This record gives sequence, C-alpha cells and structure tokens, in this order.
Amino acid sequence: MNIEKNNRTVYWNPYFGGFLLGILIILTFYITGRGLGATGALKSGVVAVVDAVAPTHAANNAYYSKFIPEEKSVLDSWLVFEAIGVILGAIISGGLSGRIAWKIQRSPKITNRRRLIFAIGGGILFGLGAQIARGCTSGAGLSGMSVLSTGGFITVISIFGAGYLAAYFFRKNWI
Amino acid sequence: MGPLLPNGIIPTEWDSLIAILIGLVFGFILESSGFSSSRKLAGVFYGYDFAVLKVFFTAALVALIGMYYMDYLGYMDLAQLYVHPTYLWGAIIGGIIMGVGFVSAGFCPGTSLCALAIGKIDAFAYVGGALIGIFIFSELFTLFQPLYDGTFLGNVTLMDTFDINPYWFVFIFTLIAILIFVISDLIRKRTKKQVYN
Amino acid sequence: MVNRKLAKVSTFRYKILATVFIVLAGGLVLLPKHEKHEGIKPELLLANLISTERYISTDILADKIINNDPSFILIDVRNEESYSNFTIGDALNIPLEKFLDEVSINYLDQNQYDIIFISNDNFYAEQAWMLGSRLGFKNLHVLEGGINKWFNTIINPKKPTETMPEEQFVLYSNRKAASMFFGVAYPEQFKPAKKDKAIVKTKQPAPPKKVIKVKKKKKAPAEGGC
Repeated sequence: MNIEKNNRTVYWNPYFGGFLLGILIILTFYITGRGLGATGALKSGVVAVVDAVAPTHAANNAYYSKFIPEEKSVLDSWLVFEAIGVILGAIISGGLSGRIAWKIQRSPKITNRRRLIFAIGGGILFGLGAQIARGCTSGAGLSGMSVLSTGGFITVISIFGAGYLAAYFFRKNWI
Repeated sequence: MGPLLPNGIIPTEWDSLIAILIGLVFGFILESSGFSSSRKLAGVFYGYDFAVLKVFFTAALVALIGMYYMDYLGYMDLAQLYVHPTYLWGAIIGGIIMGVGFVSAGFCPGTSLCALAIGKIDAFAYVGGALIGIFIFSELFTLFQPLYDGTFLGNVTLMDTFDINPYWFVFIFTLIAILIFVISDLIRKRTKKQVYN
Repeated sequence: MVNRKLAKVSTFRYKILATVFIVLAGGLVLLPKHEKHEGIKPELLLANLISTERYISTDILADKIINNDPSFILIDVRNEESYSNFTIGDALNIPLEKFLDEVSINYLDQNQYDIIFISNDNFYAEQAWMLGSRLGFKNLHVLEGGINKWFNTIINPKKPTETMPEEQFVLYSNRKAASMFFGVAYPEQFKPAKKDKAIVKTKQPAPPKKVIKVKKKKKAPAEGGC
C-alpha cells in the first residue's frame, strides 16, 4: 500500500477543522455582516431555471417572484458565488489529497441503486425542509448559532433530534 | 470597525470576489475535514464517527467566543450582524424534515457540494433531489405559506427570547460543548468501527 | 528527549484545548463591562463642537431660500406655539422634546439634505445639533444667531451710515431685497409714503411647500445564509 492510497481517508483532526471553520465564520461576519450558506445557491438555481423556462409562471408564483431581482440576473447573488467557491475549494482540497474519483459511496450492504434512491429522497426532504426553515445546517445552524439566533438553535436541535430518532429506520444504509 | 461591507469600508464591487474566496476556504475546510464523505457524516447518528459534531460545535464555539471578544474590543459591532429570523414552527418542522433527509442521504447541502466537487455520484443525486425539493416547495408555496410565514418572532437572539446574559451563555455553552465532545468519544470507543473511504 | 516531552504534552492536548476554551469563555464573563458608545466618539464630537463649520449665517440662508435651493431642510426646534407665530421659510417644526420620536428621526437621520436648525437664538439649535451629532447624524448645521438675528439682519436690516465702507451698502441692499422677498414693505415702494419704516407682515407669501422625500436608511442586506 503506498502512501497516497493511505492519504485518501486521512482527514484533518475535527477540532482543527472546526477551529478553522470558526475563524472563517468570524471573518465572514467581519467582512460581510452575515454568515455562510449553501441552500441559497440551490434555490437561486431553481428560480433561474423556472424563470428561464416559464417567466410568467415564475412572476406569478409568490415564492419565485420574491427572489427575482429586477435589475440583475437571479444567479448574480452572493450565495451563488459562494457556492461556486465551495466547489472550487473542495476540488483543490480533494485534488491535493488525491480523493477525486467518480464513485458512489455506500455501505457494502446496500446496492448502488438503493444508495442513489435514498440520496435523492434525502435531497428532496432537505431541500423542502431548508425552505420551510429558511436555512440549512450552514445558514441556519452554523451562522445562526454563531450570532445566538433563537431560530438557528431551534433548527439545529430539530435537525439532530429528528436525525437521531429516524436513525434507527435507516440503519441498514450505514451500518 | 466591522462588519466591513455594510459599513462601506470595502466597496460593494468586491462583494462577488469576496464571496468566491470565502466559499473557497469554506469548501476546502469542509472537504479536508472529511465532510465530502456521507458515511463519515452519517457516523454521528450511529456513533462510529463524531466528526460532524466536533467540527460543528468547535466552529460555533470559536466563532461565538471570537466574535464576542471582537465586539468587546470594539473591532466589530455585533448589533449590525444579520441574525437568522425565528419562525418557530417553520424552524421546528423544517428542522425535522431536514433531519430525516440527513439520515437518509448522509449529506447536507454544503457538504453535498463538496462531495459533488470530488466526483461522488450520490452527491449529484442528492443535489438533484434538493433542487426537486426546492421546486416542490415553490410550486406548493401557497400550501406551505402559513407554516413559512407563521409564528414569526422576529430576528431574535437567545438573549431576547430568554433574557439571559450572553457572556454567561457562551461560558455555559462552552462547558456543554466540551461535555458533548467527551461523551461522544466515550460512545465512539464502544461502537463497532466502520471501514469506509 | 524533546520528542518524548512533546508526546507527553500531546496526550493532554485535548485537555489543554478544553482548558483554553473554558478560560477564554470565562474571560468573557469576568471581563469588566463598559457601556458602549452609541454614535460617534466623544473626541470627534468635541472636535466638531470646537469647529465653527456648523454655523450658517442669516445672509447665506436668505440667499438659499430666495434661490429655492433644494438641498436643505430647515428645522425649527422651538415649541409649537412659537413656530405657529413665526418661522423662517417653510421650516419643519421638531420641538426638542420630540427630537427622538421616530417621525423626527426619519427626517434627521439621513444623508440627502443639509439640515439647518433654527431657534430664537443659538441656544436650542445648538442643543439639537449636539444631540444629533452625538447620534451620528450627518450634515447638521445651526443658523447663527437664530431668528433674532434673522430679524435684525434680513427682515429689518440696519441702514448703514454714510461713513461706513462700500461693502456695508452692498450688504444692506442685498438684505433689503431679501426682506422684500420675505414680505416686508418699504416706504419707497408705495406712492403715498408711509411714516413707519418697515412693517413686518405676519403672514408670509407662502413659498411653495417643499416636498421632502426622506429615503429610509439603507440597512445591511437582510439576506439569509441559506
């Protein structure tokens, strides 16, 4: 076994990663006055597609129309640029440790198909939930908790609480 | 005095560039901490890997303490920061739905972007699912609107809601977080190790 | 030897880290708290206070009103009674006691107009200026000498004596012209010469009311993380 193969699963010490992430959150708040986010970019993507395919429908829908700015493109938003950055950063990090590869990561006990179905299902739920709660683990959780937002704490407690309660039913997927 | 952009110390033209740079570092940290691996992420629910919990709470702790010191020393005005708004039932029900999605897929949106970047096909499926989820929500917005807009408590912080001293809260939060770290290590030692990469 | 020591330390590293966190968080609790200053720093306020830049002379004000200069708002800080008796131009009335009302703040805390405070003399206008400056409002000015000086210079200018220099006569004729604009009648204007020198009309030829649109201050982008 060469070193490079070993390196793939060697991640940073979680406390080190957490420390850097904390510093980044401070920096983000210091520079922009708001926190990090991820689902916002996905939402902008959906709005942009719907706006391009069916502009009148998008304008009539109470939700899409909220996010269609008048002067600029839907995709010209802070969170979209941030998401592009996230992807680039992950490529750099993954590239440095040789982790870039096409694969489906799953427990050996389940099939690829099952893994993908559950991934899509989880994605749908998360997308839905993140809209209802106005934020995901990064926007509501990390950034919300850093400024002691009540909503942020409630969301985090709900996510992890529901996660632990539901974990039993999904155990086959993971262990 | 920060925050810099809202106070006009950095012109807004830099906004997009700063967004990309911050995203870059965010993505790098997430990927390097192993957040591109759904099995590592899901470990938090089954006790074989608590990386999520540790990274998450350490980050929140560092950010909290750091920002209160910056506020104390006058480098940043905490009152000017964007506070995530509180819609009580929206936060609870949205959180529950997200929690189930989290266990089901092993990703949250930020981490899925990282996994997608290094070529995980399940992450592509997840992001596709998330887009569908957002689409469903938007199409059925009238159905969700009472929940989405209801029980609005304002952009409140814990200090407003419970009338507690923020400094004491940070201190107690630190103790709780350290306790959680210790307990999570104890649990992990008793759980069967999982091999994944 | 060093390595062994390092190894020994590293087994305790999480305990050390935890201690550091607790100490830092405890520090927040124990540090002496000081009241935060709302608005600008006292040093800056003092510098502004010493500077006389905030004063606007009655002549300049008269000139601005006559030329319909749209860039300023007059704010009368006296009580409503005095305001309804007499005020300059189309001044708005914000008595000092209502200075911090939400409606007033909307007018005062903006970046578009020059705000000129007026009162009978400098006194209340200065207080309003001080209060506003302390809160960090911008472009605040004080009418030098207040309405009293306004009367003595613009409404009822003193005729310069023959021995006075040329400029005084120019100033006088300007002031006289201004006072006519504000509705003061002079004897030479009328054919049957009146004995009284000047009559101050109580009713002004109401100049067109300026519509003041106060833009709400731009808040930091209230956009969520997700």
